[in-house]
Amino acid sequence: MLELRGATYRYAGYARPVLHDVDLALRDGEIVGLVGGNESGKSTICLVASGLAPLSIGGELRGEVLIDGEATAGLAVHDLAQRVVIGFQNPATQRSGAAATVFEEVALGPMNLGLPVAETLARARRALATLRIEHLADRDPVRLSGGQGQLVAIASLLAMGPRHFILDEPTAQLDPEGSNLVVAALRDLAATGAALLVVEHKTDLLDGLCDRVAVVDGGRVVLDGPAAATLEDPRLAGWGVEPPARVRLAAALAARGLADLSELGWPA
Amino acid sequence: MAGGYLVPLALVGAVLASAAAGRVLGRLLRVSALLTLPIAVSVILVSVLTRPGETVLLVVGPFDVTLEGVDFAGQTLVRLVAISTAIGLFTLTTDPRAFVLDLERRGLSPRFAFVAAATIEAVPAMVARAGVIAAAQRSRGLDTEGSLRARLRGVLPIVGPVLLSSLTEVEERSLALEVRGFGRPGRRRLLWWPPDRPLERLARWLLVVALAALVAVRILGAWPPIP
Amino acid sequence: MAGVSATAPGMGAGAPGVRAIAPAIEVEGLGHVYPEGTRALAGVDLRIAPGEAVAIIGQNGSGKSTLVRHLNGLLRPTEGVVRVDGRATTGIRVARLAALVGLAFQDPDRQIFAGRVRAEVAFGPRNLGVRGAALDAAVADALAAVGLGDAADANPYDLGYSRRKLLAIASVLAMRTPIVVLDEPTTGQDLRGMARVRAIVRGLVAEGRTVLAVSHDMRFVAESFGRVVVMREGRIALDGTPAEVFAEAAWPLLASTYLEPPLAARVGVAGVAPPGDPSRGRSRALGRPVR
Repeated sequence: MLELRGATYRYAGYARPVLHDVDLALRDGEIVGLVGGNESGKSTICLVASGLAPLSIGGELRGEVLIDGEATAGLAVHDLAQRVVIGFQNPATQRSGAAATVFEEVALGPMNLGLPVAETLARARRALATLRIEHLADRDPVRLSGGQGQLVAIASLLAMGPRHFILDEPTAQLDPEGSNLVVAALRDLAATGAALLVVEHKTDLLDGLCDRVAVVDGGRVVLDGPAAATLEDPRLAGWGVEPPARVRLAAALAARGLADLSELGWPA
Repeated sequence: MAGGYLVPLALVGAVLASAAAGRVLGRLLRVSALLTLPIAVSVILVSVLTRPGETVLLVVGPFDVTLEGVDFAGQTLVRLVAISTAIGLFTLTTDPRAFVLDLERRGLSPRFAFVAAATIEAVPAMVARAGVIAAAQRSRGLDTEGSLRARLRGVLPIVGPVLLSSLTEVEERSLALEVRGFGRPGRRRLLWWPPDRPLERLARWLLVVALAALVAVRILGAWPPIP
Repeated sequence: MAGVSATAPGMGAGAPGVRAIAPAIEVEGLGHVYPEGTRALAGVDLRIAPGEAVAIIGQNGSGKSTLVRHLNGLLRPTEGVVRVDGRATTGIRVARLAALVGLAFQDPDRQIFAGRVRAEVAFGPRNLGVRGAALDAAVADALAAVGLGDAADANPYDLGYSRRKLLAIASVLAMRTPIVVLDEPTTGQDLRGMARVRAIVRGLVAEGRTVLAVSHDMRFVAESFGRVVVMREGRIALDGTPAEVFAEAAWPLLASTYLEPPLAARVGVAGVAPPGDPSRGRSRALGRPVR
């Protein structure tokens, strides 16, 4: 389990903190969605939860980040990465550029950790298998579609061996086909018992995927509860978050006095 | 004078023969020509027209074209060709990734090896990026097909975003690399490195010995310098 | 359903009498093969009347990006002809066609190079020879249209990604071209940005300009465009109004292009309207998007 307790974070060189007293918990096997308007602090929460803030980018953190009860402060980045990893939205910037094939790319992480060859190979194979991309093993990472590139990026992170994944808008730059690939991959990942935090604007995507959803506004967590209920909360638009299509549709139907969706047996 | 041509020409012959064996002869000739031509032209012009000598072949305006000048130009040219074809042969027949892996196996720091390997991909990526940027700027009326002056004005709107966007990506790239353990000090257990065959090892040692010998011979003055 | 052409060249579902006006864009038998051999377009016929708002949709590789790059001459036809405002594009330089067709690219960071928002927006019209008061007016109008009027003196990289995308669109709007083409204007936009993009399209249509957008955002497409062209494997597979294209009859074809009709269309077919309502059972009533 990964926990943020009272996290208040200020970027280096900035006068005011961007996060205020944030509490967030990520349990094994859970997929938690994080939503909020632009500049609400979602990406900052990702950097703090993954430990890169303040470890890599500096700044000041008050409060705690705990993994399985232990504080992460004081760990080296490569040790931290074996507990929690972060993925970004651009598949191109997550490519190391030093691998000729997808297999090599995925194996780079364990290799960097200085692991024995047999262990490195095993981890790479397992990561490709978990995300069902063994068929891409010999492909050139540069020539993949956006969705495939993101899957390779996630596999590369998986090979580091963490139990916690923070994903900052993994489908933002992808087309519908790519988004579907990534959503399926996230399900596969959670099925292994990993804990996932997924930031997205596309609430439709989170609707079917997440167990819980948290809403961030002005650097604070303003709502945190079961996915379905949270995404139906009428205050979402006020926080800069677009509700999923089914919620908008139900609201519009209700406004016109038309039939309730549940009468159609429409899935919640 | 003929002696000054013998060794360089022999070297060029050996390089070209190796290139033919490695099936890169055509590309090697093109690349060498491209590299040597600009220098060659200036060297030849300067030597042929200004080098002092006794045997004047013809007079071009204020310049005397002497036999010695032509000879000097010729000897310099074959040396330039020898150097450029040798370097060209190396780059065309060596897989950069295998080369970097081998260096790491022999003790090069993994971080240095990574930078070398990533730089190889960086160039085509930048070229592709410049292409996208050029398309966007042309769509806003930047003329890349017109006069030279127009094309020069187009340099900043294309080079600017290439640099800017590369810089803005640097932070995210470096964070992504750190998460994959690239910052960890210490050696790695490589999955593969290029095999080192006995024949190749022998060839390498012979080349080292030959290099030492040639340098010694030159220093000790056993070979005549170019007049 | 009337107006849906499954394979034939689209004549546009515009108003009657549209044939009498010269088309803003006319593409005949357009084919394009990339230098390395991939065929991106295989015989596209399309006529777009002035003032139409057309969305071009299709999965990656369907040819939609290749198609729009022919409209301003960035790509040249391997077969067929492209006519803009009645004139064939062959032989006309991209910089000249830019005065007729404004093409806004997807990634703002692959074009921004000025230190000030104002200068970035002025780049386009300046290239077209606009100077002085006219230039200032064009820049001010464009910034107002995208909601960046207050940021005219800011550094583009101080703006968030969403607003930088709007800046890129503004820099094309300032060129005041009769035809405006937007490449994926909604990717990466937050709630406010999306509303702004919809407003921009509405504004352009109100001014009588011809607007095209390449998009994979089905809701944006259904809401903001009167005509949808579906591309698949280098050809036009469907061409009609959003209601027609997202109607149940078209779903198998859409599925083959990995596109899903907006939720409203799917629910509409289930006949949600109460008894007596004339739109019951037909997709038209809820083929319109829900806000």
